[in-house]
Amino acid sequence: MSSATTNAIRVHKRPKVGLLFIAPFAVLFLFVLVIPICYSAYISLFQNKLIGGNAFVGLDNYIKLFNDPQFYDGAIRVVVFTAIQVPIMLLSAIALALAIDSLRLHGTKFFRVVVFLPYAIPAIVSTLMWGFMLGIRYGLIGSLNEAAGTSFDPFAPETTMISIGVMATWGFTGYNMLIFYAALRAVPRELYEAAAIDGANEFHIVRYIKLPALRGSLVVTIIFSIIGTFQLFNEPNILATLVSNSGITSYYTPNLYAYNLAFTGSQQGYAAALAIVMALFTIAIAYVVQIKGMKNVLNK
Amino acid sequence: MKKRVLAAAVATVATLVALTGCTGSSDAPSGAGVPTDKPITLKVWSWDGTVKEAVPGFEKLYPNITVDVINAGSSTDEYTALDNAIQAGSGVPDIAMFEYFSLPLFAIPGKLTDLSEFGAEDIASDYVDAAWGNVTIDGKPYALPSDYGPAALFYNQAVLTEAGVTAPPATWDEFYEAAKKVRALGGDHYITNDSADIFLLLSLIWEGGGRPFKVDGSNVTIDFTDEGTTRAVEFWQKMLDEDLVNTKVTGWSDDWNRGLNEGTIATQIIGSWFTSTLPERAPDAAGDFRIAPLPQWEAGETSGSENGGSAMAIPADAKNKEAAYAFLEYFTHGDGLQSRIDAGAFVPNLSNLDDEKFLGTTNEFFGDQKYNEVLAEASKNVATGWQYPPFFGWARTSYEDVSAPLYNSGKGTLADVLETWKQRSIEYGNEQGFTVK
Repeated sequence: MSSATTNAIRVHKRPKVGLLFIAPFAVLFLFVLVIPICYSAYISLFQNKLIGGNAFVGLDNYIKLFNDPQFYDGAIRVVVFTAIQVPIMLLSAIALALAIDSLRLHGTKFFRVVVFLPYAIPAIVSTLMWGFMLGIRYGLIGSLNEAAGTSFDPFAPETTMISIGVMATWGFTGYNMLIFYAALRAVPRELYEAAAIDGANEFHIVRYIKLPALRGSLVVTIIFSIIGTFQLFNEPNILATLVSNSGITSYYTPNLYAYNLAFTGSQQGYAAALAIVMALFTIAIAYVVQIKGMKNVLNK
Repeated sequence: MKKRVLAAAVATVATLVALTGCTGSSDAPSGAGVPTDKPITLKVWSWDGTVKEAVPGFEKLYPNITVDVINAGSSTDEYTALDNAIQAGSGVPDIAMFEYFSLPLFAIPGKLTDLSEFGAEDIASDYVDAAWGNVTIDGKPYALPSDYGPAALFYNQAVLTEAGVTAPPATWDEFYEAAKKVRALGGDHYITNDSADIFLLLSLIWEGGGRPFKVDGSNVTIDFTDEGTTRAVEFWQKMLDEDLVNTKVTGWSDDWNRGLNEGTIATQIIGSWFTSTLPERAPDAAGDFRIAPLPQWEAGETSGSENGGSAMAIPADAKNKEAAYAFLEYFTHGDGLQSRIDAGAFVPNLSNLDDEKFLGTTNEFFGDQKYNEVLAEASKNVATGWQYPPFFGWARTSYEDVSAPLYNSGKGTLADVLETWKQRSIEYGNEQGFTVK
C-alpha cells in the first residue's frame, strides 16, 4: 500500500522535469511531422478550384482516387518494382557483407567504402550520370550497340523501369551492405571458434550463425527499402526531361503523380489524398513485414 | 565619433538624392498618381534577366522608389509561388512575369489588375497586334508584353545544301520535299526532331488559321476539327508516318544539342528567342545556321505564329500599383526599353522592330545574316485571334501523357491524340470550375 502511494507521488512529480527533457524532440516532432500530416489529411477533404475557390468536398477526393486508372497505373508499377528490385538489392548486399566479413579478402576497407560510395551521390547527379551512360545515341550503350550491331534501348517504355532498378540497386546496395556488415561484426568471434572446434565449415557458420544474426537487420532494411521504392520520384522525374519516348508519364509513380497534381494541376487536395493513401498503404505493408519478421525472430 | 560618421553619411546621401532628384525631375514622365513623397520599394518577380537593366534609369527618375528585381523561379515555379503568396495574403510582388499562355489562368479568376485604369490602351499601338492580343483578356489589358517569340525556321544551310536543297523551304510542301532529301543523306539525318512538342504543333495550327481554343470568360470551347487545325495535323502526321521527323530526340536534351551541333538535326521550327541559345548548343555549326520565315501553307502567303513569349502584370493584391505601372511602362515601352534590348531582349514593340540599328544586327554564328530583319517581319506577321485555355499549363503536361504512345511506338494518330487530350481537358476544366465543351 505504502509503495503504491510513493509511486503515485513520483508519477505526479516526474512529468514537469520530463517534459523539459523531451521538449526539443517533441517540438520538432510536432512541427515537422504531426502538423504537416494532419494538415495534409485536412486539405485532402477540400477542393481548390481555379474558378470558385476552396470548398469542402468530404471524401470526394478519395472516391475519385479509387476510380482513377492513372493512380493504379503508378501504384502497380512501384509495387511490381519493389517486389523485384528489393530482393535483388538485399541479396547482393548480404552477399557483399558476408564476403567482407569472411576475413579472406584483401583490402576490405577500400572495398567497403567503394561499395558504399554511390549512396553518397545525390540521386539527381547519379540519374544524370546513368542517363548519359545508358543513352542509346552517345552513351556507353550506344557504343556497345554500334559495336555489336544491336539496337537495345534501355529507355524504351518496356525497359525504363529496369534501368531505374539498376540505378536504385547501384545506389543503395552499399548502404544496406553496411547495415548487414555492422550486424555481422556484432557476432562474438568466439562463436566461430567454438563452431570450428565442433567441426563446422565456413558454409555451416554462414548458415547457422551469420544468417540468423542478420534477421533483425533484414527486417529493418526491407522496411526502409519498401518505403524508399514506394517513394520513387527523382529518377523518373529527371529521366523524363533527359530522354524521349521513355514511357515516363506524369503519373509514372504515385509520388510523381502527386507532385504533378499539386504543382501543374493545382489540385492540392487531390494530391494530399493520394499522399495519405500511399502513406497508409506503405505503413500497412511495413507493419506486416515487421510483425512477420519479428515473429520469426522470436520463434527462433 | 560614431555620430559624426553617421552625420556625414546622411549628408552624402542627402546630396545624392538631391542631385539625382534634380536630373530626374526635368524629364520625369507624366506618371499620373505616382507618389513621389514617400519611399516605395517595388518588388518585381522576373526570370527575364534584362529587366534589371532598366532599374538604374527608373530609380533616377523616381528617387523615392527602389526597385527590387527577384528571380522567383521560372514559369510554373513562379506561378506556384505567386498563387501561394496571393492565398497567404502576404509577399505578393508588385509586378510578376507570365508566359502568354499562363495569363488567363490568373486574369480570369481576378488575380491581376486591369491595366486600363492606368491608360494602358494608349500604348497598344506600339505593339504588334498579336502580342497585344495575348495580353487582352475579355477585352481588357491585364499585362504589357515584355518579350516575344515569333516562330521562325532556323536552318543549317550547309546540311540543306549537302542534301540538295538550295533555298530554305518557303511552303510546307517544300519543307516536306526537303525533309525527304535530308533523310536521303542517310544515318540519323532528319530535317527536324519532335518528341511531343505541343508548342511546335500549335505554331503550325496557329499559322494556318486554326483556332482550336475559344475562351469567353470562364467558358472554354475546344475543337481540333476546324480547317486550319486539320490541315496542320494531317501534314505533321504525314511527316511522322514517313519517318521524316526524328521522334527519338527530345528538345533541350543532350542528344538534341549534339544533333544540332553535328548537323543531323537540320532545322528547328521554333521561337525567335532561339537566337540566344543556339550558338552555345551548336558551337561546331557556327556560320552554318540561318533564319528564314516560317514556311507557308500556300505559296505567297505571309502568315505567322508564336512559340513562346512573355508579359508582365500587376497582381490584384499588389500594394503600390501606381508606382508599379510606372515601372512596368518604363521597361516595356518607355525609356527603359532600350537598355533591355541592348542586353538581348527580343520585344514586340514596333518602335524597336522598325529600328535601323536593331534590324542591322548581325552575328557570325548566323553567317552575318541580318537575322532581325526576318524576325521583325515574322513578329508583324503573327496571325491574330489566337487564345489559350486558362488551364493550358496543366494541359501541356497532359498532352505529353496522351501523346506518349504515339511517339513511343507509333500507336494511333495525332488526331486521336488530340481527341483524347480534348476529353481530358474538358474533364479537368469542368472540375476546376470552368465550363468547357
